Amino acid sequence: MNAPYIANSFSRRRFLRNAGVTLALPMFECLRPVFGRAVQVKAPQRLLVISNNLGFLPKPFFPKNAGRDYELSPTLAPLGDVRNEFTLFSGMSHPDVNGGHSAENCFLTAARGPTKSGFRNQISLDQYAAEKLGQVTRHTTLNLGVNIDKANRSLSWTRDGVLLPAEDSAPALFRRMFVQGDPAAVKKQLQQLDERGSILDTLMDQTKRLSRDLGSTDRARLDQYLTSVREVEERLLTAREWELKPKPVATLPEPKDIQDKKLIFEKFDLMLSMAQLAFESDSTRIVTLMVDAFATPAFHLPGADNTTEGYHGLSHHGQAEEKVRQLGEADREQMRLFKKLIQNLAAKREDEARLLDRTMVLFGSNMGDANTHDNYNLPILLAGGGFKHGQHLAFKRDNNLPLSNLFVSLLQRMGVEAERFGSSTGTLTGLA
Amino acid sequence: MNRPLLILCLFPISSAWPQSAPPQIEQSCLECHDKDNTKGGLDLTALPFDLGSAATRERWIRIYDRVEKGEMPPKAEDLPKPERVKFVKSLAASIYEADHAEVLAHGRGPLRRLNRDEYQQNLRDVLQLPDLDIRDILPEDREGHRFNKTTEMLDMSRVQLVAYLDAAEAALHAAMTTESAPPPATKYRAVGTDLFPGTGTFGNREAMFFARDNKAIDDLKGHHDKDEKHSAKDDTIELALFRAASWPYLGTPKHFTAKRAGNYKVRFSARAVLQQPGYVITPATQHLPMTFRTRKPAGVDIINEVHDSGGIIDIQPDKRVYETTVRLRNGEAIEYSLLGLPMPLAMNPNGSAPSYRYPPFPEGGQPGLAVQWLEIEGPIESQTWPPPSHHVLFDDLGVEVKPKDPQQDAKRLLRRFVKLAAREPVPEEDLKMFDALIQAQLAKNVSFSEAMLAGYKAFLASGDFIYVREPVKADDHFAIASRLSHFLTNSRPDTKLMNLAQRKQLRDPQVLRAETERLIGSAGFERFVKNFTDCWLNLRHIRRDDPDIRLFPEYRFDEYLVESMERETRTFFTAMVHENLPASVLVKADFVFANDRLAKHYQLPPLSGSAIRKVNLPKDSPHGGLLTQAAVLKVSANGTTTSPVVRGAWVMERLIGQPPPPPPASVPAVEPDIRGAKTIRDLLALHTKSKSCAACHARFDPVGLALENFDILGGWRTHYRGLEEGKRIKGIDRAGHGFSYTIATPVDSAGKLLDGRSFKNVNDLKAIMAADPRQLARNLLHQFTVYATGTPVRFSDRPEIESLLNACAKDGYRIRDLMLALVQSPIFLGQSK
Repeated sequence: MNAPYIANSFSRRRFLRNAGVTLALPMFECLRPVFGRAVQVKAPQRLLVISNNLGFLPKPFFPKNAGRDYELSPTLAPLGDVRNEFTLFSGMSHPDVNGGHSAENCFLTAARGPTKSGFRNQISLDQYAAEKLGQVTRHTTLNLGVNIDKANRSLSWTRDGVLLPAEDSAPALFRRMFVQGDPAAVKKQLQQLDERGSILDTLMDQTKRLSRDLGSTDRARLDQYLTSVREVEERLLTAREWELKPKPVATLPEPKDIQDKKLIFEKFDLMLSMAQLAFESDSTRIVTLMVDAFATPAFHLPGADNTTEGYHGLSHHGQAEEKVRQLGEADREQMRLFKKLIQNLAAKREDEARLLDRTMVLFGSNMGDANTHDNYNLPILLAGGGFKHGQHLAFKRDNNLPLSNLFVSLLQRMGVEAERFGSSTGTLTGLA
Repeated sequence: MNRPLLILCLFPISSAWPQSAPPQIEQSCLECHDKDNTKGGLDLTALPFDLGSAATRERWIRIYDRVEKGEMPPKAEDLPKPERVKFVKSLAASIYEADHAEVLAHGRGPLRRLNRDEYQQNLRDVLQLPDLDIRDILPEDREGHRFNKTTEMLDMSRVQLVAYLDAAEAALHAAMTTESAPPPATKYRAVGTDLFPGTGTFGNREAMFFARDNKAIDDLKGHHDKDEKHSAKDDTIELALFRAASWPYLGTPKHFTAKRAGNYKVRFSARAVLQQPGYVITPATQHLPMTFRTRKPAGVDIINEVHDSGGIIDIQPDKRVYETTVRLRNGEAIEYSLLGLPMPLAMNPNGSAPSYRYPPFPEGGQPGLAVQWLEIEGPIESQTWPPPSHHVLFDDLGVEVKPKDPQQDAKRLLRRFVKLAAREPVPEEDLKMFDALIQAQLAKNVSFSEAMLAGYKAFLASGDFIYVREPVKADDHFAIASRLSHFLTNSRPDTKLMNLAQRKQLRDPQVLRAETERLIGSAGFERFVKNFTDCWLNLRHIRRDDPDIRLFPEYRFDEYLVESMERETRTFFTAMVHENLPASVLVKADFVFANDRLAKHYQLPPLSGSAIRKVNLPKDSPHGGLLTQAAVLKVSANGTTTSPVVRGAWVMERLIGQPPPPPPASVPAVEPDIRGAKTIRDLLALHTKSKSCAACHARFDPVGLALENFDILGGWRTHYRGLEEGKRIKGIDRAGHGFSYTIATPVDSAGKLLDGRSFKNVNDLKAIMAADPRQLARNLLHQFTVYATGTPVRFSDRPEIESLLNACAKDGYRIRDLMLALVQSPIFLGQSK
């Protein structure tokens, strides 16, 4: 049961067979957006950021040596076939982003001092990039989650430091990307957008009046409201345009969701395939995905029983052999999924290029060592994006390089003219 | 209450409150906390005494707390008593002044938005739609200080705003009708095979079959239509229903769904039976708890929302007629279920078809239910048409919503609606804005009703509606009404409360007290109990971890137990308030609330029936009080093992109000290495080997140790269980599954608290905790404060909290007294300038 939606290297033929549709391959053609690609001048560059909020066991993760000839560590061993498709970083972290689990919401924001009183989060990398790039796709970003506590955890944060909740339902995501309303529904949608516009104008005026009568702290609260009204208004404009454009055609059936939290890796696989679908259909260029291991109870390890306790309990293993063994297995399973994603993206072509070369995949964690709640020396992997990969870029373990430096490099590759982000001190050297 | 006097003795206020840090710092603190020696990441030479800044003040408050408690400096002789008193007094006065000045200038806390539960309940009340479901349209709310009502966490974003608009739209459309007459009331009667949607259940005949003369009818399947029609009318056929071994059972009567939301009367004839091998039924020896739930009929693996309704009925072994009332939404049917199971899992853990391991049968037979006939009638409430919700929107304009003068009617209806929905008068200036919106829609040829809904939608998403604020001025009674109703009923003020606000009577202590008592006694108070215990005691996560059935086969799929324990704790807390019990009862009580299942779980004399009732405990029982309630012990364990560390911290934080401080971030974490530890005790000894760990762990580890006699679901144990070492126990569980576990090491629940007091078992610990009811009450006041006001207790609130405690001291800090006192305090009512 619960076979991941797009199993085994995106078996296209099988899928079409299942869907009962005969179509000329390649499938990618079917997923091609009806819109927009023709006028493209510059090849699009995409970004997928994945974080497992409990990270990986550091000892078996980091290789002993650096450079191009580094030896794959036990955890990275499953990535042998794709070793030249990714770069491993060590000695990186966000300065002053500590406090154990509190750092999880700062992985893409680099906001300092998450446990300090009066802490406020900042804009996340994906939202920043989306702001700069504008709405070139139907969805500026997609923010996904696996087993995620949607109320309290997210990789995506607004400029005001407000949490943007993650989507954890594959079918809902599928409908947002592909399911087109009939003409009557579209018309109704347009009317609704028009009405929304008028309502927002009224709300703007009303809130300004309300704000006039309030004290300064209340007004600060209400500013969030005003910002929200403005942002929704801006988006209404483009939403209207997009409503008039047909959605890309997916001939696949809607995926079946996986709701059982025990099946964390099956769900992870499913959400990765949804991210891939989003890129292939150019529904979005930016996807974030938090694997909320913290909220995962005792889970299913492929080919084995359920773990003896929840993910968080395991992560505080205290070197107990049995716990370390189960975690190691979980870590390697995630590397297998990462490898599968790399291979799938490499197998797809867009124009003449591999989709992988136009998709940067950052896979890492806010946690350097969950056993000790350590937020330094984060495990960071980067694949795709047309970078020259195949090396272990090792920075100082006792004096970490800001992870934001890598973020700036990613932003620049996406065509965002940014010199800095978060706590960056420059771009990343050694990554070409 | 002589509050001012008290403040004076605790916090010497004079015009010359110290503007500088206490001089003792130089002598007693700098050795460890200067720029060369920043222990714990604290450099006092770099910490400005700028108490006007909230962040800096927070740090000074932490310093104050640690010195005041005697934790700092670590060696008491480094700050002798007289000096310590001076230090504490001086710092307290400075911080109090700064904090209080800020409260006077800006209020205790800013306005906060409604969370999604409150928003839904507000709309249910405004629109008179008690079943409105819009909560899931809104994103889950973030929590702060454990509660979903904390201002700081209730942010606004574009996602949130769009969700409010979507939710308002859905609610308004649900309120409006276009039907000219109500669908007629339904009368439904089923006998024979109409009692069930099919001739069998998914996979397992043992879960359900039709029987005649106590034997399964063999070949209903594949019969001609004629026979099927016949058997659908055959009242000699009984529907026999059992609880599946691994498979929660579900089924609805054939051909029935509610055409309209409302209350329906359900009557049925049934008896409790036992299933014997060969699909034979025999009379039961005891009754069986049955629940009716409501849901839309669906296939077996379709997960849709299920609601409890109609309560639990204990079905007796002899044939009897039962009656209950269920609330059905449009399109829903009743679902028979035994033991109120939660949503069925669609698959077995391994993906295979679910299978029974019968035989062997449970001894005596498999308990179940035989139904002879069933009638549903409803909706039973008197029906006005158009429904009241439509009337809220369109007054007397009828189903067609035909205005005589659209422009004038629009203005009139808007004012009428806003008056019904708003929690305080809305200025005419705002109303004109909403008018303009509606008129603009009308000008665009939008239908009158849709144009009105656009205006209503705007109001329901406006700052006026979605924010609640704290009372500010002396005559600000509407904010008091809202704060009180959202505190005690999670919704808007009712008519009576609104009228009192209108008449400015809510600052009259007698009136306010009477209203508080009235809301505590109202039906809406259940929402307080649910939400408060969901957050405070984490009951909402009671189903988070399934028991590990390798170690605890007796708990396999025992939803009845989980459901019972949840009801126990909620009933207990409700009684604490309604019976106004002293705070010490929170941890030490000579009674429990239990039913048949819990009595068995707690090894009490047997009880009969599913109803939760108060039961006096035998002397020396380890039960009684929150500490040993199954629900608390479940949410503080993980389904497989218990950890004294986790449970201890849980109890200290939530019940005692002394949360463990976070591990210092700047100190390189000591990597715990627990290899070589055999028992949990060894493990803890290793865990706290390092001095810097032990300093904190000694505060809560021992508390958790006292609870080690309770397994992951709160069952009593004298030994741990394992899978490898120890005496092996093998058998077949009540559902027919084989099990095999071992009896491992014995439990040792003795320990010693940080202050030196030692205990042998949990009852000793309870006695120690109950001996300090003031701390229990203080903690509860802190919890109530953040829940009711959205802002945690501030430094300048502390004297007020102590004063409230003083007032409640002579009666042992009774819980309702605490609530009543808080409501009367400036923390709740706002500080008048």
